[in-house]
Amino acid sequence: MSQLLQIENFTLGFPGRPPLLDSVSLHVNDGEAVALVGESGSGKSLTTRAALGLLPGGSESSGLVSVQGLDTLTASKQRLMELRRRHASMIFQDPRAGINPVRTVGDFLTETLVRLDGLSRAEATERAVAQLEQVGLRRAGGLMDQHPHQLSGGMLQRVMIAAALLNSPDLLLCDEPTTAQDVTTQAGIVKLLREEQQSRGMGMLFITHDLNLAASLCERVYVLRRGEVVEHGPTRTVFLTPEQDYTRQLVEATPVIETGAGSSVAAVPGLDPTPLLKVSGLSKTYQLPRGGTVTALEGADFSLPEGGSLGIVGESGSGKSTLARLVVALETPTSGELTLRDIPRPQRPLRASERKALAKEVQIVFQDPYLSLDPRIPVGNAVADVFRLHQKQGRKEAKESSRSLLGRVGIGPERFDALPRALSGGQRQRVALAKALAARPRLLVLDEATSALDVSVQAQVLELVEELRDQLGLTILFVTHDLAVVSRLCSEVVVMHQGRIVEQGPTARILEDPGDHYTRNLIASRPRPLWDAEPVTA
Amino acid sequence: MTLAIHLPQAGLRRYGSLLSPMAWGALAVAAVVVLLSLFAPVLAPYDPDYVDLNNVLAGPGGQHLLGTDALGRDLLSRLMHGGRTSLLGPTIVVIGSTVLGLLLGLVAGWSEGWLGKVLGRLFDLLFAFPALLMAMLAIALFGKGLFAPILAMTIAYVPYVARLAQSLVVAERSRPYVQAYRVLGFRTPWVVLGRVLPNLIPTVGAQSTLNFGYVLADLAALSFIGLGVQPPTSDWGAMIEESRGALLGGHILPAFWPALVVVLVVVAVNVIGEELSDRIGGKLS
Repeated sequence: MSQLLQIENFTLGFPGRPPLLDSVSLHVNDGEAVALVGESGSGKSLTTRAALGLLPGGSESSGLVSVQGLDTLTASKQRLMELRRRHASMIFQDPRAGINPVRTVGDFLTETLVRLDGLSRAEATERAVAQLEQVGLRRAGGLMDQHPHQLSGGMLQRVMIAAALLNSPDLLLCDEPTTAQDVTTQAGIVKLLREEQQSRGMGMLFITHDLNLAASLCERVYVLRRGEVVEHGPTRTVFLTPEQDYTRQLVEATPVIETGAGSSVAAVPGLDPTPLLKVSGLSKTYQLPRGGTVTALEGADFSLPEGGSLGIVGESGSGKSTLARLVVALETPTSGELTLRDIPRPQRPLRASERKALAKEVQIVFQDPYLSLDPRIPVGNAVADVFRLHQKQGRKEAKESSRSLLGRVGIGPERFDALPRALSGGQRQRVALAKALAARPRLLVLDEATSALDVSVQAQVLELVEELRDQLGLTILFVTHDLAVVSRLCSEVVVMHQGRIVEQGPTARILEDPGDHYTRNLIASRPRPLWDAEPVTA
Repeated sequence: MTLAIHLPQAGLRRYGSLLSPMAWGALAVAAVVVLLSLFAPVLAPYDPDYVDLNNVLAGPGGQHLLGTDALGRDLLSRLMHGGRTSLLGPTIVVIGSTVLGLLLGLVAGWSEGWLGKVLGRLFDLLFAFPALLMAMLAIALFGKGLFAPILAMTIAYVPYVARLAQSLVVAERSRPYVQAYRVLGFRTPWVVLGRVLPNLIPTVGAQSTLNFGYVLADLAALSFIGLGVQPPTSDWGAMIEESRGALLGGHILPAFWPALVVVLVVVAVNVIGEELSDRIGGKLS
């Protein structure tokens, strides 16, 4: 076995600043799948790009990066082009960013074959179609004439994989290729990558923040933290018996489906006959600008008792976010009923006074903490504003309340005057939580509130939510794509698919014995470690 | 896993680091011109309207640093005093059009219904009229002088600000932080005026800075064709017009100096405006 990709003591940084990568060493052999895991900012992408000679402008580097003996740090442009064209391909996270939107898939796939490899148009088309079929795209011939916007994200990522495989590379570099995809789509793409890598005997370096995914695809793993490799070895050894504290933390923070854990939140017994939130036959239809309608939510029925916790699980387009937005009145229902604490929701936009009253009943925390805080307002003031509005507090009193609430969610007084951009993602999400809680709502809607966070931060924020729920007696509506997060936090779960509720019930029951075909598929799509792979039943 | 996209937000960052050398130069030119004009009564060597027929069309140097015009008036003093009227007009127009444009833009951007559409069409209509044409129309109605062109120009420059503000507001209102304010029960006027408006100001300010240069040139042109500031008040555009006779006689300086100052100021203001919008635009990409 020869070393396909070899990185030795690779250090990269900008002059006068601490290095971004510090003596990184790793290698990938022929026919081997290797994972590079780490949280955001750990330097995974930088390392991988260096393999193709793509270094950030103005950076200084030392050490060795070589692919099949070619030193990519010093190689000429010509040699690098040759390398990228014939020997090493890369697949990126966002397939839409890598394809010209005004040209067809066929143009995209055949361009280099015709211009650089001297194939005739017919030959190139034939090869591209064969490759598309190989990556599991049906009606590949028809696909060649389509434009990127006509394809779903999953299909487009398959097109990108086809493009990467067209020149039969020896090394495939994957930079979070499934992070933007739904779980079920991800399962298909991962399976495809594994099959191609095995059957072609390619070397593969797979970058991901998701330990489960790394375990489902790769034999060996490197754990990267702040530009340094903290641990490496066979995936199984590293994940089951981690030697470093950091790896252990990562493994522990990685969400797994915990059946039985959700029942730590015992549903309030039938003492309270009127549920806090009751939804029946709720639908939302959008008018399209060019005529026609889209039904985002159709006939949703469920109820949530005071003090309960309900998970709404679904993939993109399932209607789960529409449901969340209906609950907090950012959308107006088209039909059906939504009752919050016996108050029916009108089918019209709320008046200012109604909205203010509603704010004391229900609050929401959004997915992206980088966008959900006003960038110009210091975080302490942002929370104090809510106290002044809802608790009728004076300026001084509100500041005091804000300080103590921020302290409670883990934001120290030294951060009181900080602008959101000076805070990390996890800290911002804590502030967003404090802002919502300052209105003292009974129901807290969390709309993918931890999805944009690194796993270790996600674990901390989830812990905080659990703690606050227990202390304040909050009712929780957790909207997410992640079954593991739901299993940890919610006693009941609603599974949604294409605007409809396909299944609902106690979390433990649904995870252990899903009744619906789609739920089963969703659970089965979660990445499974290679060493746990069930034998395929004949 | 859902993907987090971290877009920097429109016009929300401070200007931050150092200006380019080009912008420093522009800023210096603008500052010198503004200060000299502002303190003209104190600093100017002569009365700008003092006629000295023994000393007509004197060259630069000697008693008159930049020379004199056909009536023997000191050109430097006239330039300094002329700056007061020449800069006052654009200042009023820019402030007026920015305030009006911001308000209309906020309303147009925030209201989803017919009001936004109607305002949008109104902006289109105003765009269709050249500013100079509107100014001449106003002069026909209100007579010559500074008032009519300033009023017309203010109206003509409103859509430049309003259209920009409208598009920024449309982008801001769908951002999660604005939605969070709505869910928290804050009233719309408070959110729009207190929270969204300040986030637009850097970007709109850059546009208005650029407008200043255009308005200055437009007003100078009006004075040049005799519709704006009336003699004997000194004004850069009027000075060029008054010097036409001397120009034909081979004396270019009386027309050259005011023309040079107009060009310098317009270029300086443009450089500053471009720098501001580049910085804000750079933060967007």
